[in-house]
Parts: sequence; structure tokens; C-alpha cells
Amino acid sequence: MISTKILSLVTFIYFAAFVFYLFRMTMGRDFWGGLATYTAWAGLIAQTIALVWRWKASYDLGIGHAPLSNFYESLVFFSWTIVFLYLITEGRLKNRSLGVFVLPVSFLLMAFASFSPDISSHIDPLVPALQSNWLTSHVLTCFMGYAAFTVAFGLGIMYFLKIAAAGRKGKMISGFFHLLPDDDVIDELIYQSATQGFIFLTLGIMTGSVWAHHAWGSYWSWDPKETWSLITWLIYALMLHARHVRGWRCRRMALISIIGFACVLFTYLGVNYLSGLHSYLKIS
Amino acid sequence: MTGNKSRVWSFFSSVSLTIALLAIIVLFSIIGTIVPQRDATAQLALQIPPGLFSFLQTMQIFDLYHSIWFFLLLGLLSLNLIICSINRLPQAWRHFRAKSFPENLDVFQDLSEDAIINTKQDQKVISEIAGIAMKSRFRNYQRQKTTDGLYFYGDKGRVSYFGVYVVHLSIVILIAGVVIGSIFGIEGYVNIGEGQTVNKINLRDKDQTLLLPFAVRCDRFTIKFYENGDPKTYLSDLTFLKNNQVAAQGQLLVNHPLSFEGFRFYQSSYGLTAESKASLSLFENGKKSQEILVGWGETFVLPGKEGKVNVLRIEGNLMNMGPAVKLAVVSAQGETVFWVFRHIDKIKEMNPGIVQQIPMFNPGLFRPYVFVIGGVQEKYYTGLQVNSDPGLPVVAAAAFLMFVGLMLVFFSSHRQVWLRVDVQWENTRISIAGRSNKNAVGLQRDIKDILARIKKRLETLR
Repeated sequence: MISTKILSLVTFIYFAAFVFYLFRMTMGRDFWGGLATYTAWAGLIAQTIALVWRWKASYDLGIGHAPLSNFYESLVFFSWTIVFLYLITEGRLKNRSLGVFVLPVSFLLMAFASFSPDISSHIDPLVPALQSNWLTSHVLTCFMGYAAFTVAFGLGIMYFLKIAAAGRKGKMISGFFHLLPDDDVIDELIYQSATQGFIFLTLGIMTGSVWAHHAWGSYWSWDPKETWSLITWLIYALMLHARHVRGWRCRRMALISIIGFACVLFTYLGVNYLSGLHSYLKIS
Repeated sequence: MTGNKSRVWSFFSSVSLTIALLAIIVLFSIIGTIVPQRDATAQLALQIPPGLFSFLQTMQIFDLYHSIWFFLLLGLLSLNLIICSINRLPQAWRHFRAKSFPENLDVFQDLSEDAIINTKQDQKVISEIAGIAMKSRFRNYQRQKTTDGLYFYGDKGRVSYFGVYVVHLSIVILIAGVVIGSIFGIEGYVNIGEGQTVNKINLRDKDQTLLLPFAVRCDRFTIKFYENGDPKTYLSDLTFLKNNQVAAQGQLLVNHPLSFEGFRFYQSSYGLTAESKASLSLFENGKKSQEILVGWGETFVLPGKEGKVNVLRIEGNLMNMGPAVKLAVVSAQGETVFWVFRHIDKIKEMNPGIVQQIPMFNPGLFRPYVFVIGGVQEKYYTGLQVNSDPGLPVVAAAAFLMFVGLMLVFFSSHRQVWLRVDVQWENTRISIAGRSNKNAVGLQRDIKDILARIKKRLETLR
């Protein structure tokens, strides 16, 4: 299928973008930065086209549904939302340092989707439980949330690298270090991304509950994915409270953004190894 | 307030308690996803000492999310939220009610150059222009004349001070709804064969049945498959009977539940009933020797009297490989168990060597006979989940309230703008100042817009 071929090509485009971001960091030349941004945009556009193509192809097969219905499609969509949110953040921040930390996540997700022998890129018809209008809104909101948390994670890693670099002296490291935004800016962006993720995750859980109420007969069944999404939600709720009430800043915010992301990954991937109702994502 | 009481109060009103409680709830939830819960515990019971198992069971470790511990935590969290909110609400109320006009005029001190416009125009003209500009961003602005000039004041988003409390309230309501649901709610299931009527359901997690105040009949069960064999849709035509009179009828699909008298019915599964029959042909050395119709649990003797055949199961679509019958041949050599697939030739073609790898898929496992299915007369039952949850409207209200609260927390802010028109060195001076509780960017936008409007009008006057 052409869309699948384009998507595996996108994997390499994201890898190239990552490499260009890295060049820009180590060499400090803005030529590489511009190239990286254009490459990431090119990847995003190609990926969008492929997703739309795949969507259309499913209608041609007579089983039309949004490309959000199995593990392969969810990996592709996750990586799409990450790059999408990242490029918006980059535009607002007017600083390209974050790309080095976020693009690899997108690249790895695409590589996993495209090259893992266990993951089928087939367009499958929807099982009865997934035949619902809630599918799109639930998956969309959840992955927007995941992606915002991924951006917060990238910022958290960047913060720790920055303080690690500040402790050392060295020509290359200091060049590296100068390009990173100020602590306050990183802190504010971590907060903003986490907030964004929190709102989307809340909406994702709400839409999921409404759907579960229609499909499974209960708005909440303590299925492992549900439970882990609640855990993730609570972690970020803790983060927002600690900031507002306790005045937690930089280092602690960066730390929670990393812990929170570990929870996000477990909610997304880890629970596949536990049994539960969300079995659509199982690796065959 | 006595010292003791205030100590209890301050304990429950501390954010540290909230953080500790949330952390414990997180820990609890994690344990619940690792330790098998409810139905899944059967296997664990065989692996650990029975004493330990029954101890853990008494401690409700195997039903953590419905355990006394969990409810205790939820209760503490609610108490903590309520007391925190009561403690902080007066402050929010003061902010909400605060009079900022004509008080707070010291905001005009230390204004930047950008926030001041000087013009030769008459003060009266300017006040009119300023009024229109203020109105564009603050509909209910106020104005007041004092000895040193004319003042305008506008604000919006006062309600944002309550956002946090709305979210907290929604969580307390949510917990209340969950508790109501788990005390008064009913979770059950029932299988109804086509044409059958039932008035009892089995309760989940209890070895009991519940008598319904009505009866349900399954008139028809329909299943459709995709070309690859996956189920496409399955649906039940149900009739609800009250005192043997038809009270309601409806079609039940996955994702489309039906409600009757406070009970909600969900299409959850299906299967073949014991009344299903399969027609079996026996081949002996390539020659057809017998053809019979068999049902579940039926037994027949092989034509050569080598043994007895038990029909263990009849499936309409086993593992997406079509109809299949499970047989056990009891003979002098012992028991031989194997599956007979209707489409065995196709299965062999698609999976070469499968019969060698999985002898149980070999219809000729008991020599010299080979079994062939002519067809299966399918008689389906429909598997329904039957729930009743009086906490549901409460939970739905809580979710709505939470959404509203979050919108207030994250997307609304109290923005105040003061504007002064006075005379300085024969110039008319316009000064603008603002304040916001959490949205400096939005405030700047308001101020910039008001300034831009004034400047535009001034240019047309020139």
C-alpha cells in the first residue's frame, strides 16, 4: 500500500530532522536549524497525506473508518501529534533546541510501527465494539494529551541536561549550553505543556467514560488502561497543585514531567502486557 | 475553637495531606493493576498458601477498588477537599467582591511610556473616545470624575476565582456518585437463547441471581461476519414483557444499549446453545459409511463397534475458522479427542502441515475413520450485560461540572483595566493601567487594543 510506504519513508525524514537538530546544537550554525525545521515540516506533511490516504483507502475497501483503530495506526498518529505540537511550540518559542529531545520520540514510534515484524499495517475492519462515533473523539483527545506530555518530557530532559552542562566547563558543552532557553522559559513551557496535556487527558478520560458507558455497560471498569490513565491524571494533578500552592519550579517540575511521561508510556504501551478490555491495541 | 479542634481542622485543610492522599491512591491503583482482581484471582489461589490467600482475601486485596480501604481513602480525600475549600473560599469571595473603583488608583504610578498618550485634543472629545474604546473590551465599564481627572474602570472574568472550587466540588460529587453506584448499583449478566424468555439475571461477583420486575425475550439473534471471518455486527431483537404483556421492543447492538425500567441492557457476547446440531459424515477408507445428526453431549457407537463417540462441543465459528465439532472417541486404546472443522481442506491449504503440527485438528485421528461435517444447525444464545446504576446522573453532573471548572481554571482570568484622562501642561493625557490574576498576556492584549482604538480615532480627528 502506498500510504504504508510513505509512512515508512516518514520514519527516515524524522530521523534526518533529528540529526539536523543535533548538528545545529553541536555546531551552533543556524543553517542546520532551519534545515531541521523544514525537514520536520516535510515529514509532518507527508505523514498527514499518508494518513488521509489511508483513511480514503479504508473507504475504498468498504470498511471506512478513521485511521485510529489498531496498534499500527495509533503509533503513527501518536508520532503525528508529537511533531504537530512540537512545531507549534517551536514557532512560539522561537528556539530550536527542543527538537533534539522530541523528534527522537517521534522517530522511534514510527520506526517501531514500520519495522517491527509483530505489528500489522493492514487496514482491518472494525470489530463491533469499536464501531462508534466516540472512537475518533476519544483517541484524538487522548493522543493530543500524550503528545503534550511528550513535549513536557522533552523540556524536562533539556532542563536536566542544561544544569548538568552548567556544572562543567568545555568549549563544546558551553556552545551547546548557550543555545538553550533560560530556566524560566523552560519552566513556563513545561507548565504550559503539562496543562495542555492535562486538559486533553481529562477530555480523553471523559469521552472514554461516555463511550464505555455505551459499549461496555459501565463508565468505569478499572480496566488496567483506565486505571493507568487515572494514575497519569493524578500525577499531573499533583504537579499542577505543587506548582500553584507550593510554588514548585524548574527542577521539580522537570522531574515530574519525566515521571509523568513514564506513566504515559505505561498507559499507552505497558498495559498491553496486562489483561483488560482495551485489547484492540494488542500486538497480534 | 479549641486547640484540639483547630489542630484537626488544620490537618485536614493542609495541601500536604492532599498530596499524600493522591500519592497513596496512585500507589493503591498501581497495586490493583498488578495483583489479580476479582475473577482473575482463581489462578493465584493455586499458587500461594491457602492461609495467605484467605488472609489477603479478608483484607480485600483482590477487590481493591471496591474495598473498605479505597472508600476510606476517597472519604478522606473528599473531607480534605471540602475543608481546604471552606478555608480558602472566603478569600476567593473577597477577591470576587472587591471594589477596585474608585479605589486602587495608585496603579497609575510607574506606568511605561507605551501606556500613555498625549494629545492636543479637547478633554471632552477624548473622554468620549476613551469611553467607546473601553466599551469595546469591557461592556459594563464605569466612569467617575474627580478633581484631578476623569477615570474609567472595566473588569471581566471575576468568576475565575471560583474555578478551582468548582473542580474540587465536582470531584466530591464524582466520589459521591461512585459510592452511590457501588452501594445501590446492580451489575449482572444473562444468556438468553433465541425464542427464550427470562426474568432472572446472574449477579457479577456474587453467587446469586436477581429476580427482575419484568421479563425479557430474545426474539431473534443475528450475526454478520466480515469476509475475513471477524464478526461485523451482532444484534438481538428483544421484547420486554410486563405481566405477560408486551411493554417494549427494541434492537440491541454493541454500542447501542437499551433501557427498561431503570435497567440498561448491553450486547456483550453470544454463543451456540446446547440445542445446536451438527450433521456428521463418517468415511471409512475413503468410503462414506454413515451420516448422522448429533447434538451437544450426545453419544453414538462407531459402525464397526470399535468405540463410542461423545460430542463434546459444537461451535459455529471456532477461532475464525468456521464451524467445528469437538469429539471424544472412547475405545479400547483409551480416549482420543479431536476437532472436526467444516472447512478443513481450506485450513490445510492456508496452513500447510497444520494437521501434523496439531494432531487435535486431524479429523482422521481415530483410524480408520475420517469425520466430515456436512453442516451445523446453529442455535444462538445472546449474552447480555444488565446494569442499573443510580449514581450515574450524579457522575454525569460531576463530569460536566469538572469540565466547566477546568475551563474557568485554565481559560478564564480576572482582568482589570483603569483609564485616566487628565490635563498636563496644556496637553490632554490618557493613561491606561491594568491588572490580572493569571493572564498577563490577555491583559496586554486588552490594553493594546484599547490604545490602538484611541489612536486610530485621534488620527481621524487630525
